[in-house]
Amino acid sequence: MNTTHGGTGQPAPTTVCPRCAAAEFDELAVSPVPGVWRVLRCDRCLYSWRTTEPARRSSRAAYPERFRMSRRDIDEAPHLPPVPDIREDTPGGDR
Amino acid sequence: MSYDDLRSYLAALDRQGQLLHVTERVDPEPDLGAAANAANRLGERAPALYFDNVTGFESARIAVNAHGSWANHAIAFDLPPETPTRDQVREFIRRWENFPVAVERRQDPPWAENTLDGAEVNLFDVLPLFRLNDGDGGFYLDKAAVVSRDPEDPDNLDRQNVGTYRMEVKGTNRLGLQPVPMHDIALHLDAAERRGEDLPVAVALGNDPVISVVAGTPLGYEQPEYEMAGALRGAPAPVSRAPRTGLDVPWGSEVVLEGVIESRERELEGPFGEFTGHYSGGRNMPVLRVDRISHRTDPIFESLYLGMPWTEVDYLIGPATCVPLYQQLRADFPEVRAVNAMYTHGLLAIVSTGRRYGGFARAVGLRAMTTPHGLGYCKTVIVVDEDVDPFDLPQVMWALSTKVNPARDLVNLPNMSVLELDPGSQPPGITNKLVIDATTPVAPDERGHYGQPVTDLPESAAWIDRLTTLLAERGGDR
Repeated sequence: MNTTHGGTGQPAPTTVCPRCAAAEFDELAVSPVPGVWRVLRCDRCLYSWRTTEPARRSSRAAYPERFRMSRRDIDEAPHLPPVPDIREDTPGGDR
Repeated sequence: MSYDDLRSYLAALDRQGQLLHVTERVDPEPDLGAAANAANRLGERAPALYFDNVTGFESARIAVNAHGSWANHAIAFDLPPETPTRDQVREFIRRWENFPVAVERRQDPPWAENTLDGAEVNLFDVLPLFRLNDGDGGFYLDKAAVVSRDPEDPDNLDRQNVGTYRMEVKGTNRLGLQPVPMHDIALHLDAAERRGEDLPVAVALGNDPVISVVAGTPLGYEQPEYEMAGALRGAPAPVSRAPRTGLDVPWGSEVVLEGVIESRERELEGPFGEFTGHYSGGRNMPVLRVDRISHRTDPIFESLYLGMPWTEVDYLIGPATCVPLYQQLRADFPEVRAVNAMYTHGLLAIVSTGRRYGGFARAVGLRAMTTPHGLGYCKTVIVVDEDVDPFDLPQVMWALSTKVNPARDLVNLPNMSVLELDPGSQPPGITNKLVIDATTPVAPDERGHYGQPVTDLPESAAWIDRLTTLLAERGGDR
């Protein structure tokens, strides 16, 4: 188990998103037992991870190439299902 | 005996030696996903797993692999755990005939004991969430029953849908949801979005085992899942009204989420390791906002591992895919004997049928592709004679190896629809489809040299009994 960083008793620091390398992320949750882990979510690609996960999931350096996302991957991701046209005869039709 | 909730089912699994309680401490990752993955590799008697000692959690209770073996699938249907697969499918077909069975409306569901509303809503406070596969974009709810109604006809309970769709946890009250276009919730969402309205939904987590099966069964648009659950359980399905949305949810659920799929919103979702044995995503998908959580005291979080087949999902939806295809084919073609569509949710299906005349078998294969489920699946349909058991793969291979002449027996159809998750489709959602006619040609399609089949000797059936008895007696002497 790798719940602490360098024996400090604190969860390992995370500087960038493991998947897309963005520097901004939110904290979604902290462990009910204080100080064991946090769950973080990248603001850009929405990847979320627990700070105690194996490095292949929680560290940019170890994150596998095949799962990484580039800015282009994010910008060009398809919309599924496509948003349909608004029906003109409904109350929401003027949105 | 039918189960009214997940707990009574887990207790039944435990009584039959099919539940393993892991008491030693495990990490949420990678242990929970890896253990569930490993359970799928233990064979036909693989147990469900139950964890209640997870690093960093104070009171997590997690069940995985509840349906993940033929023994468990049998117990879910209150059959002896050693019931052979084809007999489980046969029993499923028999009970299906009792559809519809009206629901039983019950008050005071146990999930009403605790409520989080509005700003109090935090999924992480209630659910011990964890990641399954390395490339997953986050933590997922992958075994929940999602309830919605047709916005054009909200009082029509025949159109109330109960389905399982993957949901990525993207915030404390925010889920990404994948509505496959062939599934009913996609029709509901499309109607709501055309009206510019949010789609109210309820998400029931931790359910009795038959609810989980019917939520993954491709029923017709106006076949209500709860009434099918009643038929399959042999007792009416107990349901209660969800307080915020008014939707019907299982009385026995562990946790009920209520909220809306936000109209015309799309947001990056995935990837997620899917039942195809491949990741899918990331794509911009609809967003579900959770406005209320109701839950039992000390709820059990049920999850399912999926990835390279076979995994729990293949047991969960295997017979549940065979039977509607069988019923829909039988409605037009009573010659159909059996359907095995257990491979990748029916991306490949094997149909055994009698033949009225030459060309008939391939018509049955084509019909399988135009059933509601077939529109998104049935990429390959193998049609075999009525005396070939589609659940006996050596027999199917024999038919393929001897009855097929590629010059005449392949029907290759271009540009057909398939679910976008099919990794071979190009563009995603479009594929060729193939009927392989592995039946014996009949007039006027006269070809090949099939007039002298070697059949089992007429006396061999009696000898099977005799040898079986002798073997049993020998066993008794030892």
